[in-house]
Amino acid sequence: MAQSLLQLRAVEKSFVGTRALKPLNLSLVQGEVLGLIGENGAGKSTLIKLLSGVHSPDAGTIEWQGRSVHFSSPHDAINAGIATIHQELAYCGHLTVAENLLLGEPWPRHRWGGVDWTLLHARAATQLARCHLEIPTTRTFSDLTAAQKQEVAIARALNRDARLLILDEPTASLSAPEVERLFAHLNRLRTQGVAILYVSHRLDEILNLTNRVAVLRDGKLVASYPTHEATVSRMVKDMVGRPLEQVYPRSRSYRKAAPLLELEGATREGMFENISFQLHAGEILGLAGLVGAGRSELARAIYGLYPCDTGTMRLKGNPWSPRSPDESLDAGMVYLPEERKRQSLVLDHSVRDAISIGFSDLFTRWGMIRAQEEQSAITNAMRTYDVRAKTVTQPIGTLSGGNQQKAILARWLERKPDIILLDEPTRGVDVGAKAEIHQLIDKLAGSGRAVLLISSDLPEVLSMSDRILVMHHGSIAAELHGDAMTQENVMLAASGLHHANR
Amino acid sequence: MTHGRLSPFLRQRLLVLLAGNLVLLIAIAFTMKQGGSFTDVLTRCGPNVAPVILAGLGMTGIICTGAIDLSIASIIVVAGTVFGVLVDRQWPPLPCFAACVATAWSLSACNGLLIRNLKMPAIIITLAGLALYRGLALILADLAIPNFGGSLNIQHESYHAPGKQFASAILLATLVGAFVWEWFASTPRRWLALGSSEEACRLAGLDPRSIRQSAFVVGGLFLGIAALIYVTQIQFIEPARLALGFELQVIGAVILGGTNIFGGEGSYAGTALGALFLYFTAQWMTYAGISPYFQEAITGALIIGVIGMDCALHRNRKRLEELA
Repeated sequence: MAQSLLQLRAVEKSFVGTRALKPLNLSLVQGEVLGLIGENGAGKSTLIKLLSGVHSPDAGTIEWQGRSVHFSSPHDAINAGIATIHQELAYCGHLTVAENLLLGEPWPRHRWGGVDWTLLHARAATQLARCHLEIPTTRTFSDLTAAQKQEVAIARALNRDARLLILDEPTASLSAPEVERLFAHLNRLRTQGVAILYVSHRLDEILNLTNRVAVLRDGKLVASYPTHEATVSRMVKDMVGRPLEQVYPRSRSYRKAAPLLELEGATREGMFENISFQLHAGEILGLAGLVGAGRSELARAIYGLYPCDTGTMRLKGNPWSPRSPDESLDAGMVYLPEERKRQSLVLDHSVRDAISIGFSDLFTRWGMIRAQEEQSAITNAMRTYDVRAKTVTQPIGTLSGGNQQKAILARWLERKPDIILLDEPTRGVDVGAKAEIHQLIDKLAGSGRAVLLISSDLPEVLSMSDRILVMHHGSIAAELHGDAMTQENVMLAASGLHHANR
Repeated sequence: MTHGRLSPFLRQRLLVLLAGNLVLLIAIAFTMKQGGSFTDVLTRCGPNVAPVILAGLGMTGIICTGAIDLSIASIIVVAGTVFGVLVDRQWPPLPCFAACVATAWSLSACNGLLIRNLKMPAIIITLAGLALYRGLALILADLAIPNFGGSLNIQHESYHAPGKQFASAILLATLVGAFVWEWFASTPRRWLALGSSEEACRLAGLDPRSIRQSAFVVGGLFLGIAALIYVTQIQFIEPARLALGFELQVIGAVILGGTNIFGGEGSYAGTALGALFLYFTAQWMTYAGISPYFQEAITGALIIGVIGMDCALHRNRKRLEELA
């Protein structure tokens, strides 16, 4: 029987208002590779941050090698033997590869105390060579490609002589041969008795690499079983399983209408490639895929935040190559970005200002806003979109996430947009408000608007959409209609396991 | 640069400044009136430029971490006041010098400590320090000297040795020490790491707050030497007017030297060359008989010109590299 390495007992963590982890028990033994899966927001990243010392748990204990431990900083966790590759790489771009690789470790010194740069670079080169990487150690880190940066980060963690290695979506920017190389290392480490906690959305990787699978949903561990008992459909069911009724209304039946937006081979280097689809009036087109698959980038290019390299776009039959979002707004297209608090709102602004910023220019003459008309438009928008606020002067940041999102939808109403690009419209919104936002989206499509719905929330995308495009690595992996619109199919296509169009 | 430790950007800035300094020296040689001596220009250069370079070395480290110290001029005032008061009490020269250096050093370290413990941005703490320290100097002078008339008079020549006789030697020795330290110590690289990404440092198990504090402690030593040379060059130390605007002069030299104002990039050599460039520009304008009314504006325009040209060169080269 292998020795228990890590034991979590009733570990909890909350952030302002939301419980990211409900009391959670989890254990890991030496040499075990545990696959941790779950939807976005299920609590995976929080769990990793607890284990790597970035956050401390609110309650419960972490037992490491049989002793209860408290990590007050990443330093403690590293010293205890837990190395982590975080999803978002943090590195010092101005320093060299060698310095980044050995940052945080004591550097080799001459006998008289100076840093021995020759030895430092030699040591870094050895570490890279151990991982079969050929990157000059004197290169400035910011000059590396995304994949090289990721590989250096992996090499750094592998060389920490860790007892537990945590990898959070390490393959997001790697190509197939690079992934294979990584897996070879991980398998070698496993035989040396290193335990691995592997977090990935890619279920094929989970099946290939792990011994055991743990599924998180809404901050709880909902299932845990040996990988040989796991199947893709079982894992998907465990990840998603939540009541679907009421949350996803559907009042309209879609009949094919004229295309409002057409894309033909749209490509932007490093973001998305060869994207072709049509978006019709009155249609809700779901855009599913993993984080980083290029969905938001595509929406931003359509909205005019940056141009496509090649390919053509047509809007209402006319060629479409917007130079800025102004043009898109004038042409009747609006975009709701995914990060509400950072990209959509000035949180200190009043509800009134936050809404009227979308259309106040329509009531402006000689630089002055006609206050009465503006006020009635705001009242009208708030009523139509059911924005609940005590007064219109309270800061929008004090509203709930759902009401903030409705206010953002409301700000564009007066412009009567024809095409609405929604990026994760219900992220971080509770179920009640979610249902209301879904009703609004449904109503908008019902009145003839075309909606592009980007969502990582599978049930949402499945039940709201008339048709679903699934993106994988920047291209469209599948287009799903009617009965083919199932969780399994979306997940398979998003993980790159599904290539045939159905 | 076998270890690839100076980025192409910094290397190019050093070359541009080196060339600029040469051009200015040649221009000075040609515009000098009859009777002026070029060797005089060179020998006078050391003492005149030493305080800016020395304070600039300290500031370079601080800015590399992504912080800044706006209170250095006021710190020099306190150091000068302490020095003046001790001279007034007829202490022998050496203890007076030591007290001057120690005062500046400890106040700079104190800045670091405040930033660390109050968890406030350096720019705010040192902006407050700018007023606070000058005020402290005035209070100190007022309390320590009966009938304090606004200035402290340093008459005896032995008290002027560091600023007048030995300034160039002290400057050279400190510069050599700084270059060796920059080249062989790991701490300056930690400063750059911190300025590049605080998050990366934290996740690598380093303590960002200690790293930032160390930049203030090391910077304080350089500032102490700068203060010593500054206050021993003048006869009247006036706490209310001494070194006004000095911090901007220093920050200007540091930025001109290629140090990134947001941290993560910079070099001691760049700062030294930047300070020289500003000094030679001022000299040349004086020799060329340019009206003092125009000089400030021309200095500003030159800074924009040099940095602008350098950035344009850098962009072109990057483009060529990408094509190749």
